[in-house]
Amino acid sequence: MATSATHAGYAADNYLNHSRGLASWLFTLDHKRIGVMYLIGILTSFLVGGLLAMAIRAHLMAPDGALPLTNDQYNQVFTLHGAIMVFLFIIPSVPAALGNFLVPVMLGAKDVAFPRMNLGSFYLWCFGALFLVGALLSSGLDTGWTFYTPYSTTTDTSVVLATFGAFVLGFSSIFTGLNFIVTINTMRPPGMTWFRMPLFLWATYATSIIQVLATPVLGITLLLLIAERTMHIGIFDPEYNGDPVTYQHFFWFYSHPAVYIMILPGFGIISELISVHSHKGIFGYRFIAYSSIAIALLGFLVWGHHMFTSGMSNLTTIVFSALTFSVSIPSAIKVFNWLATMYKGSISLTTPMCYALSFLFLFTIGGLTGLFLGTLNTDLHLHDTYFIVSHFHYVMMGGTVVAFVGGLFHWWPKMFGRMYNEFWGRISAAIVFIGFNLTFFPQFILGSRGMPRRYATYDVEFQGLHQMSSIGAFLLGFGLLVAGLTLLHALFKGKLAPSNPWGGATLEWHCSSPPPHYNFAHAPVVGDPYEFDHIDYDRSIDGYVFTSPPREVLPKTPQAEPATAKDSHS
Amino acid sequence: MFGPFLSPLWGDVNDGLWFPQDASTFAGEVDSTFNMILWICIAFFIPIVIALAWFAIKYHQPKGGKATSRVRHNNVLEISWSVFPAFVLVIMFVRGSWGYLDQREPPTGAAEVNVQAFKWDWSMDYGNGIVSPELHAVVNQPTRLVMRSTDVIHSLYVPAFRIKRDVVPGRYNVIWFEATVASEKVSQAELDEALKDAEENHGGDFDPERYGFTRQGYTYFDLYCAEYCGRDHSQMQTVVVVHETQEDFEAWLAAANVKPEGMTDEEYGRQLYQTRGCQSCHSIDGTRLVGPSFAGLFGTTHALESGEQVTVDENYVRESILDPRAKIVAGYQAVMPSYKGQLTDEQINSLVAFIKSLNGD
Repeated sequence: MATSATHAGYAADNYLNHSRGLASWLFTLDHKRIGVMYLIGILTSFLVGGLLAMAIRAHLMAPDGALPLTNDQYNQVFTLHGAIMVFLFIIPSVPAALGNFLVPVMLGAKDVAFPRMNLGSFYLWCFGALFLVGALLSSGLDTGWTFYTPYSTTTDTSVVLATFGAFVLGFSSIFTGLNFIVTINTMRPPGMTWFRMPLFLWATYATSIIQVLATPVLGITLLLLIAERTMHIGIFDPEYNGDPVTYQHFFWFYSHPAVYIMILPGFGIISELISVHSHKGIFGYRFIAYSSIAIALLGFLVWGHHMFTSGMSNLTTIVFSALTFSVSIPSAIKVFNWLATMYKGSISLTTPMCYALSFLFLFTIGGLTGLFLGTLNTDLHLHDTYFIVSHFHYVMMGGTVVAFVGGLFHWWPKMFGRMYNEFWGRISAAIVFIGFNLTFFPQFILGSRGMPRRYATYDVEFQGLHQMSSIGAFLLGFGLLVAGLTLLHALFKGKLAPSNPWGGATLEWHCSSPPPHYNFAHAPVVGDPYEFDHIDYDRSIDGYVFTSPPREVLPKTPQAEPATAKDSHS
Repeated sequence: MFGPFLSPLWGDVNDGLWFPQDASTFAGEVDSTFNMILWICIAFFIPIVIALAWFAIKYHQPKGGKATSRVRHNNVLEISWSVFPAFVLVIMFVRGSWGYLDQREPPTGAAEVNVQAFKWDWSMDYGNGIVSPELHAVVNQPTRLVMRSTDVIHSLYVPAFRIKRDVVPGRYNVIWFEATVASEKVSQAELDEALKDAEENHGGDFDPERYGFTRQGYTYFDLYCAEYCGRDHSQMQTVVVVHETQEDFEAWLAAANVKPEGMTDEEYGRQLYQTRGCQSCHSIDGTRLVGPSFAGLFGTTHALESGEQVTVDENYVRESILDPRAKIVAGYQAVMPSYKGQLTDEQINSLVAFIKSLNGD
């Protein structure tokens, strides 16, 4: 593609102003608009879930509770925090919001394979969210987000409403996954082989496989739970000859793969961020791509590690421990590859890169602390304590959420055509990093010293660590607030973004910021997604432009007579 | 002002930063496995972070800079960093599984306690009709717990012993331990002072957490419920007392279910009300909790869910303790577990006397 200043700059006619009015958004089939609507929905959920987290941490400032909450109310708060964060925020965060926006653009396509199903999945999400909010407004929910039986079949809170909400959200997730699988399989442009796909697409593809294969199991489980609660069919409740451990097997058969639905897209984002902001091709492309698929498949085999203390046979327990260790290898490979990508790169410490560095630090801790939990005898001590709470927050929040926020900063100029204030962006990354560690590191010590999780009150010897954690949480909340305000400010006051502000090589940086309604006027030329040699910085637009590789005519001196003229039989 | 923040970080000098007290035969192996993994993690983490920071500083360039290497893969490197960590994982796996199997196989001849978990308390059955909410064992002697739940899933967790096992309704789960540290007995003067304080300032409610020892003056280990079980999950705690000798244990057993000499029925009933889980659901000041309040209850007539009327007399109270679901007061749920086999006749009498005494006549 030739050097051209016309590529840089804000597109006057883009998907945001292509048509106007509320109806043009509500009935849109444009994947970009659906992505933006998802983004608004999940960020609202994140805000609500985050405020609930602040309430939890504020309450835990004192052993008997610092807020005027009864134990019942505290239980409802932590349940809703978990349910909202898992079902309404993290699972759809990267795939449904960023994925919807980016997958077709990265493929050089006009839209996803099934645009109507895409809009349908968004409305299913809204519908599911309404049920969850309905549960909150009727008699609340106090089962924990896991809905363990027989507690969930006997409590008098709105379990049926909430599980039905999660059931509907599952369909939303399946539709999104199905759509992406078909899109990636059938709509790659000529020249984009599997191994010339951006790694974000590999991660999305792996995620989609899990969504399509695992989510139906959750659907069945929740339906059976509703049937058990309303009709006593006798599958999960021992009072009717059911077995509560059966419920746990069913539930984790989905919910463990769901952990990878949450983290794999985060891996995809980090692969893009590290490579683009180091201006160097990703190291070990195939290992990263295969490891995503390996994680997706191995993730189906390790659900039992949530149940090491439940009463499975010794053999089963040991087999699940072994399988659990196997899934740690592909994650380790990725971390090493990302580090190797930075080696001898040309690193720009932009806001997205700061978040990516933060991710590497936090996710490594999250991954390594999983080893204490996969090891059986230490797990018996650490299971259901704050050690677990801290471990999965390091993975889910330090991993996925930090990657998601980094991804937002990375693609924000593309999505809305505006640059944000880099200074405040980096400040937010620093506050989030410090606040996060202050919140969750003390929780490892709390857990290994024996503090059980989901406690509304606690023994006085744990108070110091709990207070540290709470202060960290407020700092973390403040950091995310700064990040949010920085992004919001950019929408209204930010300067116009060039089409390629970071020097990325994937296709989304070939179209204007924000992209036009049909993404690309002509099918773009597909190159190596991690080839940065012919992308140069242009100071006049504060962005990067694609330059043509120098062309040479070979051979330099034309031969006197054409090769074909020679008689080879002479 | 930093005292309360830092003291948990220093920990107890004897216990170290990461662990509570080490008081069972399992604790040493669990802690040592934990430390092994911790050092392996540190050995991986420190180089990763150094590389991360070093690369970010050393290869930082202003915009427009070009990478100085084009190397995109190196099979030897990639395969070695995929395979090498696997060996380390095998060590953790094998060691963890060995430790786990040790915890799964109770030695023959272990003392046996039947544990029943219910919302939100524990009841430990020592046989011969001796039942107590406290777990008592003898030092250096294995104890096997056979656990069941009468309502939802609970989990028995003693951090000082590094043991945990879910208590699942509909099945028996078994766990065992051998304590290596005996509880100490505080001086009689200290105990008297605490008992007096509990009587004067806390309405007779003796919370071991407040004093650091039990009503009998033993220091103890915490026993927590570790599986979320509803409203008072965080208060579903009891104490583990480890006796120095079998004789001491048996002396405790003998006294456990008998009204102490010189105590009236009402006083004993009040003590049972506080120690046997009644007070978490039934108030004595008229407050509505999970179940009806005991205040002014005796002799009144109230409506049942079935529509009948019942007068609260000795027989009704006794029936409600032994078979709580037989008659449900209108407006309440049938959630109370049966105390059949857990209270002696003398104890039921004392509870009846206590409830009677609440009429304030």
